[in-house]
Formats: sequence, C-alpha cells, structure tokens
Amino acid sequence: MTDPGERATAQTNTGEPATEHTAGTRRGDDPAGLEARPVPRAWTALGVVTVLVLAAATRFLEQAVPETFTGTALEDLAAAIEYPVYAIVLGLLGNALLAATGLRDRLAGGFRTEFFIKTGLVLLGASINLSVIATAAGPAILQAVVLISAVFLFSWWLGGRLGLPEKLRALLSAAVAICGVSAAIAAAGAVQAKREQLAYSASLVIVFALPSIFILPWLAGVFGLSPEVAGAWIGGNIDTTAAVTAAGALVGEESLQVASIVKVTQNALMGVVAIALTAYFAFRVERGVERDPAASHPRLADLWHRFPKFVLGFVAASVIATWYLSTVTAAEGKAVIGVANDLRVWFFILAFVSIGLEFRVASLKEAGWRPVGVFASATVVNVVLALGLALLLFSGFSAG
Amino acid sequence: MGESESARRERGTRKRAIGEDWAATIVGLLLLILVLLGVIPQGVIP
Repeated sequence: MTDPGERATAQTNTGEPATEHTAGTRRGDDPAGLEARPVPRAWTALGVVTVLVLAAATRFLEQAVPETFTGTALEDLAAAIEYPVYAIVLGLLGNALLAATGLRDRLAGGFRTEFFIKTGLVLLGASINLSVIATAAGPAILQAVVLISAVFLFSWWLGGRLGLPEKLRALLSAAVAICGVSAAIAAAGAVQAKREQLAYSASLVIVFALPSIFILPWLAGVFGLSPEVAGAWIGGNIDTTAAVTAAGALVGEESLQVASIVKVTQNALMGVVAIALTAYFAFRVERGVERDPAASHPRLADLWHRFPKFVLGFVAASVIATWYLSTVTAAEGKAVIGVANDLRVWFFILAFVSIGLEFRVASLKEAGWRPVGVFASATVVNVVLALGLALLLFSGFSAG
Repeated sequence: MGESESARRERGTRKRAIGEDWAATIVGLLLLILVLLGVIPQGVIP
C-alpha cells in the first residue's frame, strides 16, 4: 500500500496528477500546513485500523439490531436496515468526530475506498455463474444494454447542455447508468478524473441510493408489481449493487434473485463502458491537449494503460468459480462460494465506511446545482425507463 | 512546472494507478483461491 505522503508528491489514488487535492494532504482544515508535509505511515495504519473498527461495528449492528427488536413494533424496520446503511452512517459519524478533533486529514491515507471496492468486486465475480446468466438472464442482458445506453447518453447529453466538464459528465453518467460508486471508480480510472470529481459523484450516488432502498420497494407495492418485475425494476434502477440487494430483499426472495441477475449483468457491462470511455477520452477529448507528447498522439496501448485491471480479476473470478462449481456438489459449492461472498461483504463494508469517512459536504456545495440536476434528471429517466423495460421483459418471467 | 515535469508525473500517475488495480485483482483472486482450497474455511469469516 502506498503511503499517502508518497502519493502527495506523485498522484492521487484515482490516477489524478498530484495537485492540491491528494489523500492525506487535502485542502480545507489544514492550519498546520499538513499539505506541505508527508504523512507518516503510522497515521495511514491508524486510518486503516479506524476503518476496520467501524466495519466490525457495522457487522455487529447488522446482526444485533434485528435480534434486539425481534417481537417489537420495530421488528420489520430493524430487519430491513442492511449493512450499507450502518456502514455509511458510522462512516459519516466517524467523519464528523475525526474532523472535529483535527485527525481526519492525517488518517485519510487509510480510507482506501477504491482498493476495498475493487477487491470486493473481484470477489463478486465468484458469485456469478456465466452459464446461469446466459440461460436465465437473457431479458436482463437486453434490459441492461438498453438501459445503460439510454441513461448514459441522456446524462451525457444533459451534462453537456449544462456545461459540465467532460470527465465529470463521464463519472456521473457511468454512476447513474451502471452501478453507482464502482462504475464511477471504473470511469474515473478510465478517464483519469480528478479526485474531487470522483468524491462528488460517489456522494451523489449515496445521497440518491439510500432513500431508493426504501422508496422503490414501497412503490412496487403501490403499483402492484409482481416480484419478478419489481426485482427487474430495482436491479435496473438503483445505482449501487449493495443497495439493490437490500431493496430486492425488502420485496422478497424472488425479487432479490431477479434484481441480483439484472444488477450483475450491469456490473458485467461496466468493463465495456470503461473501455468505451477510455477510447473516447484517449482519441477525442484529450486529443491536441498540451501534455505528454505521447498522449497527444494516442496509441492503442493507451486503451490498455487506462483499462481498469480489476475488471479482469472480476471476470477471472467468475471463470474460476464457474469451473470450481462444475467439480463439486451443489451444496458444497454453495457453502464454499458463500465464504467468498462473506469476504466480499466485508470489503464492501470497508468501502462504504471509507466513503462515509471521506464524504465532504464542501465538494457538493462547490460543484453547484448543475451536476445535481443532471443526476436527478437521469435518475427520473432511469426510473421510468427501467419500469417500462421491466414490465415488457419480465412480466412472464418466473424466478422459481 | 515545465512540460517535462508534467509528463514525468503523468507517467508516474499511470504506473501507480495500474498498481492499485492489480493489487485489488491479486488480493481478490488470492482470497478466492484460498477459500476454494479450504485454507479459509466456513465459519471463519464473522
């Protein structure tokens, strides 16, 4: 793991050339002149410990709260609150505490959101059986392709009309069209966006995803949707995979299955979008910009340099797990892959805690109303289009 | 800052970004293999 002090003189962990906004040397409350000094590794290690402690607290609350409220009027609500909620809330509380004590910027090197979420996504690949997707999720693939294309292009177009920077447009479009924070991270790596642009996009994703976990299942009931259609709607609409899982589970098991298939399909297409963005930014947006002479004459090798490598790990994990499951009994395979899923949840919790710890209200205020307008408008388009596609493609579908 | 310095930073940026991607890939796949081999057994992950 790179020490933030090193990154302060070389890069951010989003691939941004170091300026004033690097992990461990952030602007803002920096009266001690921290920006000019390397942060000792001990602070980074302490930051990692902070994330681990909050993650453990998340795991504890996830299990203890439903047990505590069993048999009470709050039983359903307590059971409905999933680990992303606890992780983000604890991260935000930790953020406020550390900011008040002046420790946040010193510990920030340990808030490795990208590493945690990318590792979790690689492990997510192990839960995806390609043959199952191919046979049972044909409608999901069609829905994902149509939905991602339409919502991405709408968001990209509206962002352009409102004059947003190209890289922020790419991040917002990927986040709202595909799978939230992880897609924004993939897009950030592909287009080499600024760190604050990624933080801002991630903040928007969380702000919109959290209420969606509860609103969409409620609306599915109001509309009288079947579990399968509700699942397809949730999976195609909510941005983050964890939030999709939480919302699908609120509706029921069949809804959860369909929602997961749809979301996994979107996850699988994330690499395709990353490649397309890499190509677009390498050959068009940055063409002619004065910078590295090699970059002003883009080569095919740039595609490889900017490709998010963890996507390869994601695919490799799926291939390995699919092969493994063909060599053992179904029960044994389910139990073993369940261990990988537990590890994946831990990495997602670490990532969500880190997002809460890194959250900066200032980044939302500084960006102004236009990105919020783009994201909100694209979310509305996503909700309506996803509902239409879910009704069209999944009305006769049975997850049983 | 001169152009050569900018170019040097750009190369350093890409190298380190690739390093973090590969780190996540290696850690994720290593954990998966350890699970499949039974080194990380069921019930160990809280």
